[in-house]
Amino acid sequence: MALFWATAALAQPVASPRISALGVENEYANVIAQIGGQYVTVSAIETDPNTNPHDFEVSPRIASQIAGADLIVENGLGYDSWANRMIAAAPRASRQVIDVRRLLAVPRTTRNPHLWYSPATMQAVAQAVALALGRLAPAHAAYFYANAQKFDASLRPWLAAMAAFKAEFPNVPVAVTEPVGDDMLQAMGANILTPFGLQAAIMNGTDPSPQDVATQDTLFTGHKVKLFVYNQQVTDPLTQSFLALARQNAIPVVGVYETMPTGYDYQSWMQAEVAALRNAVSRNISTRTLGGSAP
Amino acid sequence: MDILNLLVAPEFFANGPVRTALVISAGAAIVSGVVGVFTVIRGQSFAGHALADVSSAGGSASFLLGINPLLGFLGIALLAAGVIELAGLRRVRERDLATGVVLGAGLGLTALFLYFDVTTRSTTGVAVSVMFGSMFAIPASLIPLSTGVGLGALLIVAAIYRPLLLTSFEPGLAKVRGVPVRAIGLAHLLLLSLAVTLSAMTIGAILSTALLIGPAATALRLARRPGWAIFLAALIGLGACWGGILLAYDSYGWTPGHSWPVSFFIVTLIFLAYLGASSTAKPALKRAG
Repeated sequence: MALFWATAALAQPVASPRISALGVENEYANVIAQIGGQYVTVSAIETDPNTNPHDFEVSPRIASQIAGADLIVENGLGYDSWANRMIAAAPRASRQVIDVRRLLAVPRTTRNPHLWYSPATMQAVAQAVALALGRLAPAHAAYFYANAQKFDASLRPWLAAMAAFKAEFPNVPVAVTEPVGDDMLQAMGANILTPFGLQAAIMNGTDPSPQDVATQDTLFTGHKVKLFVYNQQVTDPLTQSFLALARQNAIPVVGVYETMPTGYDYQSWMQAEVAALRNAVSRNISTRTLGGSAP
Repeated sequence: MDILNLLVAPEFFANGPVRTALVISAGAAIVSGVVGVFTVIRGQSFAGHALADVSSAGGSASFLLGINPLLGFLGIALLAAGVIELAGLRRVRERDLATGVVLGAGLGLTALFLYFDVTTRSTTGVAVSVMFGSMFAIPASLIPLSTGVGLGALLIVAAIYRPLLLTSFEPGLAKVRGVPVRAIGLAHLLLLSLAVTLSAMTIGAILSTALLIGPAATALRLARRPGWAIFLAALIGLGACWGGILLAYDSYGWTPGHSWPVSFFIVTLIFLAYLGASSTAKPALKRAG
């Protein structure tokens, strides 16, 4: 019996090569890596926390990355619609594709595409990834499932930190530049006072309305908000003018990201954001950037 | 006052972005109107359009380098004006060819810089704001520099007013009288660069031709004397800009939570003014052939 196991272990690399998986955004790639462990090679396309993923430009290298992947996790909601086209252009019978919007059954009309800030998202993604990997490599299905359980457990400190924040600081009024962190802020019971029209204009790079800009200005000058949540990846002269106003009025700033910053995994990234928000509200301390990842 | 309040909500003038837009667009409209009259008379509308489009390369590069966008637009517009002048030969046909080639090369640079903007920087909406303007996102800190550029342009016009007028209407006669036609032509290109820079900041590089040519063409249909045409062009441009800002402000109530792009209203008002003038008046001023 022992001999049989030893032979199987030795034969394994030859018998089943590692599964090639792709997370279009690096936070999804990180979750795949945590579930797939030693049996999966994971790559990501959106990896640079210093650029705006909404303005992504596709290169031929990415097309071959997508064509060669056995498992692809994409966000959906138009955030990475280019990926859909490239997946369709390189069909593959065995390929598993997880569209996170479809997985969560979020309506197509949802205005905020940054699904990974929603507390329930990655649990569902982890389950779906374990299932998909199990289909690609049935021999290791139990291993993937166990990793998904482990991943679920590791999210608990983050969920607990959000619940504690909500209990301790209910209805904290906040200003934001764009909706990236809105789902998490809402889960923490925060009251987002920035008009959604302005958030959408900044996210989509369209003309902001002067009424919304004036409303946002008074959030700072009138000290109507306790903190300012600033998307480090979507900036322009307008967002910089809000940053200056926040500083002048001594309102703490917390930087948030669309793409997972270097040096973090999904769980530690989310926990760092919650810790930064807590520092801002309880001690008036700004956390403009996470680690050394942004300029 | 009550009627005014019906048209213009009292909050309008208290709104920070609106005030900045009113000031910046006024400078752009006045300079473009004044310079535009000479440009139309000289038959150099195409050069004006080309300089405006090419300046978008500077606008998109400024995001990349993190410098003031006004300086970006201006730098490239001046550079392109120099190239057009160097390459542009005496004959109108060749001048248009040189202008067209510079225009193509400039827009190619814009494409490159916009690519670098979105792939290496955390920018949002650069393409839209460079090409079509984003007036309510202009920081108030830009007012001194843009006012300075505008006043500089008007001072140059005042200083060379007579020779500029003569070379525009009667280049042959100007040459006979010993006016430095080439130098005045260069000065006109410089003025053109300043004008399109200011309007590119407000209604975007692509649309800035509208502010340069539209009010001037309209004014030239209505006025009999050049001085009047210049005054009228500046006034029409100013009316279109301020009217456009007001309409964009009011459009917030038409589609709740959004306002329509201010550039759309401005160019539409300019177009309507031109249509109105075309249907009521005959061309009053003769143009250089």
